[in-house]
Amino acid sequence: MGQVSNEPVFVLTICFVNNYACVVRLNKLLLIYHNVGAKTDEEDALSNQEVVGKRPLQVLEKIRENLERLNEKIEVMIELQKHGRKDLQAPLSDAPLDVMTLLSMPDHLRKTAMTVCRMGRATAEEISEQTKRARAVESAYLNQLVIMGHLKKERDGRKAYFFVDRENQG
Amino acid sequence: MTMMGKIVAVHSYKGGTGKTLISINLAAALAEHGKRVCLFDLDFRAPSLSTLLNVEKSECWLNDYLNGTCEIDKALLDLSDKIHNGGKLFVGLANPATEAIRDMSAKDRKWEMRALGRILALRTSLLNDKGFDYIIMDTSPGLQYSSINAIVSADLVLVATTFDRSDVDGTRRMLRELYDLFEKKTEVVLNKVLDASSKAGKEEITSKVNDVYQVPLLGIVPCFCDILKARGGVIFAQEKPDHPFTRILEEMAAKIDKMA
Repeated sequence: MGQVSNEPVFVLTICFVNNYACVVRLNKLLLIYHNVGAKTDEEDALSNQEVVGKRPLQVLEKIRENLERLNEKIEVMIELQKHGRKDLQAPLSDAPLDVMTLLSMPDHLRKTAMTVCRMGRATAEEISEQTKRARAVESAYLNQLVIMGHLKKERDGRKAYFFVDRENQG
Repeated sequence: MTMMGKIVAVHSYKGGTGKTLISINLAAALAEHGKRVCLFDLDFRAPSLSTLLNVEKSECWLNDYLNGTCEIDKALLDLSDKIHNGGKLFVGLANPATEAIRDMSAKDRKWEMRALGRILALRTSLLNDKGFDYIIMDTSPGLQYSSINAIVSADLVLVATTFDRSDVDGTRRMLRELYDLFEKKTEVVLNKVLDASSKAGKEEITSKVNDVYQVPLLGIVPCFCDILKARGGVIFAQEKPDHPFTRILEEMAAKIDKMA
């Protein structure tokens, strides 16, 4: 029979974001491998293989993804604090990124938004290469623009891509 | 991102500063030097290239391309038969019909956002894929959506201006509050200048322009009676290669070609 673990796993991680150290506890991660009903020896062997090999890797990958998302959120919060939350006066779900909107944006966001407009679809890393600003800074600005409804974000594996959703707006 | 060709937007604060004259002759001058050039009329509120080029009907207008109802290839007219030296000149025209002008005036922000995407896409479809060297965009004056879309998409903005006082004031404001915000490389073309014959006169004008606008002066175009007499019916860079206006445009084209 396979093993059943219902003990919560506590992961203590330290993230460094823009020189801020944040202690993050992922206390909701439960590794529960339910094994309901009787299984054949062959199934048992496969199940054990999963627990020992594939599953822990998937779990670690999930932890890593969650930490990256958490990092992005922390970056946004830091940026919002820096700019006194002035950039998020009216969060909108679909705010068209037209040229008049670009004109009315604060300089630091306009630069990022224009670069996304030019590139079409890009990661924070690719945007930072164009703007010559730090990746973490661009990531924060890009996520602000997502919150403001000007950009969309989608994940492809571990990479987060930002783009202007021109065809699906309106 | 590989930068192959160049997008040049010709803009102004006021109407009547010579944007269309400069655009069409600059495009022709570049084509006469063997370049592959696309000239676009983005002045949807007062289209003029169709009249100047005697085009009454088109399978597809630029309006249709921006509306997403046709591909850019179908909106291009080939005028290369009038060009020497192996150059190419294609034009994309704004629909001059009153209904089309009214339709373009009523577009909303979401449409304008999509239009910006389509104008930005021209860099890939025309410069990178089809190997054009230049896209010249003739725009409408002032802060119109279509003009700002062109400015955002451009590598170089040419500002056509005159010594008219309200034009000088407006142009100065626009340089600071529009082009600077978009971090655009901008150069001024001073048009309809009365005293530009002497070297001293030119130097004085250049210095004055640098003081007032604090951007480079690409060229000084004197007030030519021949241009007024032609009433827009002559493309000087094509039909009058020895005219002083053509030589000025050729110098401007050569300077643009040397820019990185």
